[in-house]
Amino acid sequence: MGRLFDIKQFKLINKYALRDFSRSYKKLWVVTSTLFVSLLLLSLTFSVKEALNSEIENNSKELLGGDIQVTSGIDPLPEEIIDQFNALGKVSSAIEFGTMLSKEGESPVFTELRAVDNSYPLYGAIETIPQSAAERVFVNSQKPSVLINESIQKLLKLNFGDDVVIMGQQFEVAGLVSSVPDLAESAVFGEFAIISMDSYEQFGLNSGGSFLDHEYRIKFKNSIQSDKQEELVKSIVAYDDSITTRLPGESGQSLSRVIDNFSNFLNLVSVSAMVIAGIGISNTLLSFVNQNNTSIAVKKSIGFSSSFIQTMYFYEILLILVLTSVIAYLIGVFSPLLANELLPKALGIDLQPTFSFLGFLNIFFIGLLVVLIFSIPSLYSISEIKAGALFRNTFNPVSLNFSLKNILLLSVLIVILTAYFVNQTEQKFYTVLYFVAFFVTMFIFYGVSKLLILFIKRFYKFSNNSYRIAYRNIVAKKSLAPIMTISLGIGLTLLLTLSFVSNNLKKEISDSIPSMAPDLFFVGIDRDIQSNLESFVKDIDPNVELEFSPMASASFISLNGIPIEEVVSENNRSAWVVRGDRRISWSEKPKPDNPIIEGEWWEPGNESEMFISMDSRAAYDLGMKINDKITLNILGRDVTGVVKNFREVDYRDISINFAIIINKAFANKLPYEYVGTLKSELPSSDVLERIVDKFPNVSAIKIDRILSQVSEVLSKVFIAVTAISLIVIIIGLIVIVSAVLVQTTFRRYNNLIYKIVGVDFPTILKAMTMEFAVIYSTLIFFALAVAALSSYLVVENTLQLTWHFDFGLTLWILVSTALVSFVLILMANRSIFSPKVYPLIRNE
Amino acid sequence: MSAAIQFDNVSLRYGTKSDTVEVLKSISFSIDSKEVVSIVGPSGSGKTSIIMLASGLETASAGSVKINNQEIVGLKENELSEVRRKNIGIVFQSFYLIPNLTAVENVLLSLEANQQFNLEQDAENLLDEFGLSHRLHHLPSELSGGEQQRVAIARALINKPKIILADEPTGNLDSANSEIMIDLLFDYTKKNQTSLVMVTHDSSIAERCDRIIEIRDGQIV
Repeated sequence: MGRLFDIKQFKLINKYALRDFSRSYKKLWVVTSTLFVSLLLLSLTFSVKEALNSEIENNSKELLGGDIQVTSGIDPLPEEIIDQFNALGKVSSAIEFGTMLSKEGESPVFTELRAVDNSYPLYGAIETIPQSAAERVFVNSQKPSVLINESIQKLLKLNFGDDVVIMGQQFEVAGLVSSVPDLAESAVFGEFAIISMDSYEQFGLNSGGSFLDHEYRIKFKNSIQSDKQEELVKSIVAYDDSITTRLPGESGQSLSRVIDNFSNFLNLVSVSAMVIAGIGISNTLLSFVNQNNTSIAVKKSIGFSSSFIQTMYFYEILLILVLTSVIAYLIGVFSPLLANELLPKALGIDLQPTFSFLGFLNIFFIGLLVVLIFSIPSLYSISEIKAGALFRNTFNPVSLNFSLKNILLLSVLIVILTAYFVNQTEQKFYTVLYFVAFFVTMFIFYGVSKLLILFIKRFYKFSNNSYRIAYRNIVAKKSLAPIMTISLGIGLTLLLTLSFVSNNLKKEISDSIPSMAPDLFFVGIDRDIQSNLESFVKDIDPNVELEFSPMASASFISLNGIPIEEVVSENNRSAWVVRGDRRISWSEKPKPDNPIIEGEWWEPGNESEMFISMDSRAAYDLGMKINDKITLNILGRDVTGVVKNFREVDYRDISINFAIIINKAFANKLPYEYVGTLKSELPSSDVLERIVDKFPNVSAIKIDRILSQVSEVLSKVFIAVTAISLIVIIIGLIVIVSAVLVQTTFRRYNNLIYKIVGVDFPTILKAMTMEFAVIYSTLIFFALAVAALSSYLVVENTLQLTWHFDFGLTLWILVSTALVSFVLILMANRSIFSPKVYPLIRNE
Repeated sequence: MSAAIQFDNVSLRYGTKSDTVEVLKSISFSIDSKEVVSIVGPSGSGKTSIIMLASGLETASAGSVKINNQEIVGLKENELSEVRRKNIGIVFQSFYLIPNLTAVENVLLSLEANQQFNLEQDAENLLDEFGLSHRLHHLPSELSGGEQQRVAIARALINKPKIILADEPTGNLDSANSEIMIDLLFDYTKKNQTSLVMVTHDSSIAERCDRIIEIRDGQIV
């Protein structure tokens, strides 16, 4: 490598490498193509992620809807506080809550309704169809208007000007809301509507119970000293721990987290693709070295050293890397434009291509590490080529050089590659786990190929010609077995694992959950109407299964006196339990489906002390112990209670479950409402329609609608994920085809000899089929085992679902992969079926 | 006259401890500078092994090999490469031109190995001397056997080496081409006062040399 820094030597190396590349590029097409595809995937991922993060950062105020947002939950902020806000700048208030939106003759839909004032939005604009629809919503008229999203329009078959009913009040559909500046998840994935604050107040729609969320956004008059003003706002609301503030930098956090997780997955797939490409690079370089062994020997005989020749070939690969990474990066830079077409319009995101030299270096560096790791054993084999062989005219093919020095060097490079990737991701543990699993799987497949060769050598004796030819091909020094087992094995394992996980998840959502889950989930039932509602539903269906639980809103303040933000990180799996408003319930006795796994239930009747029962998984994640002290803010008052027990809670059946349950005697003092579930033999749409007719303020979520939405989103995600993982298989196939092509001279010669001794074409074809079948059936056995084990661990431990094996899906994947692989191998081998006798006999 | 090549008790063995083949058995000889020597003997007698040892492409199992008074036994690969670059030109029986380089590029390779650049004209002049002015930019596959060997000799001579080692340089050529080749080598050797060591089976070629070393069963007879 030092030669590259000596100007004279560098010039010579540059000259030779360029000349060799321009005259031997056909031999290096595998290195070029596999490097390009894997670098392109990496570049696309980085570019889209960068563009999304940059979009979120640049539009952080639009995503928040102001310079700062204050959320006070169920209760509005007092007038004097809002006056203080007004002194700082323009204030916009909004109320969000879930309610039913219905049309006569159609089943009502649970909708996230946002009531906004005339100042909304403080940044950006509401985009509607028609364009003037937003203005109509704020016009004070006898008949109020509503903006709905496309999902509601489709579900209720609505046209502009149609009437819909919200909490018993008629609204006219003014138009479709296509995007709002401050991201609303339900606007993208669910049902979302906007009305004016005037309508909300005029028609008394304030019965959303504990699901009401009052939000205030401020646009500062003086945007220069925003830091001080932010601190001022925080100090104004510091009197109540349950009031939260958000700044523009925090506005796109959940979207950023989703982007980070998805791009982390894509990065891992890219690096897998690149490592498999590396196997191809290693194989191609080794065959390149062997094909050029006389030229290398001649150069040595003239006086060039091995290190000079190694540096020259390495420099040649480096040139290919520079070329492919520049093209891949430039294509990647423009990929955000394509992503704009694929992302939901309701997100209102407009990604821009951004060129960054550091971004290019990032991709180049990863490519360089992979190229180094896989080219070192091949290029160091050059030192094994003896120039003395020129006198004897006998050349033995060299093999990968795994000297102790090389093994140490490779280990260091692999550690650097892993560390570099881990450093770039938030999910460090999972990234390390993936790398370890990946390299272990790679070694398993390498071992499998060696075992196969050993097994066949030791135990099989064949008399049939096809079998004997297949046997010889498998045990030959240049056998396809190791490279096919590793490159196809890893791709197939990845595809099978992802398919098993997605299939189990889909099965759970489409089969298991619906069979257990209720039909309707009531939210925020006023306690005054709960008994009437119960009687009404039982009149409709006497066999109905109804369950109601009392509920109050609380927020987590501290654990053992330490503020909860200091105890629980954002990335904690159970951070959702302590973040924002949390609904708590109470009970005299433990629920039968919530078994206590640690501690004991409390004695009834203690009104002065609060006892807490925690979801065991959340407790474990948050580091809680029995008798820990938890402070909750309930209705503006901080209350400290003692953790008495941990329950095992299974949320999968979507029945009523709470992470936090307190003692009933203490809770009796609290104002509360109910949540409930309903399961009926009657069609849930009919039941819901009749309930909303009778009780317009009751809100109920249709579970099948939610499940179909989740299923739809998951299907899209898994199609994308599977399609991306297919790239690993494609690169694996390119590597196999290259290995086949490398062997063609050797096989063509063998086949010629077979032809001369009278072996016919069908026998050779049968032999090739046998060879493929033996290698493929061995690798699928291990690919299935690794995929089943890893998907089992993910499904049972991470997703906490029951793992099922789908024979049909497995067969489909294995057969289709086998067919594609075999056809490609046959195509790559086509020249060996009818070898021309003359050139081979003349040794040309 | 100083020795260009000095072999003292040189042995060469291949194989394992239990199954050893002794190719050269403690041979000693020296070849003076400007001397033209042929090495003759039956196949498998060890002729080529002497050339391999003299070129540093094989290492002696025992004894001493000196090239222009420099001991080369025990040198590292890079040091041996330097000895070759500075002292030796090798001509093989099978030509061994690099297939994707033109005639002139094959010749330039030797100069460039010695860090001598921009000497295309020298390479072209030498090829012109060898009657290949019309083949300068042809690939080896476009040349006849005789032309290929002339390019190979030009590649060995362009550096003006002090020693030329030729391993049956006419073995793959017809008699007419053989004669041309040998004339080229002898003329060059005389003109440049160079040592020439040539392995050959052809007695008429051997007789044109200053001295003949005959090898049989790994020993000089």
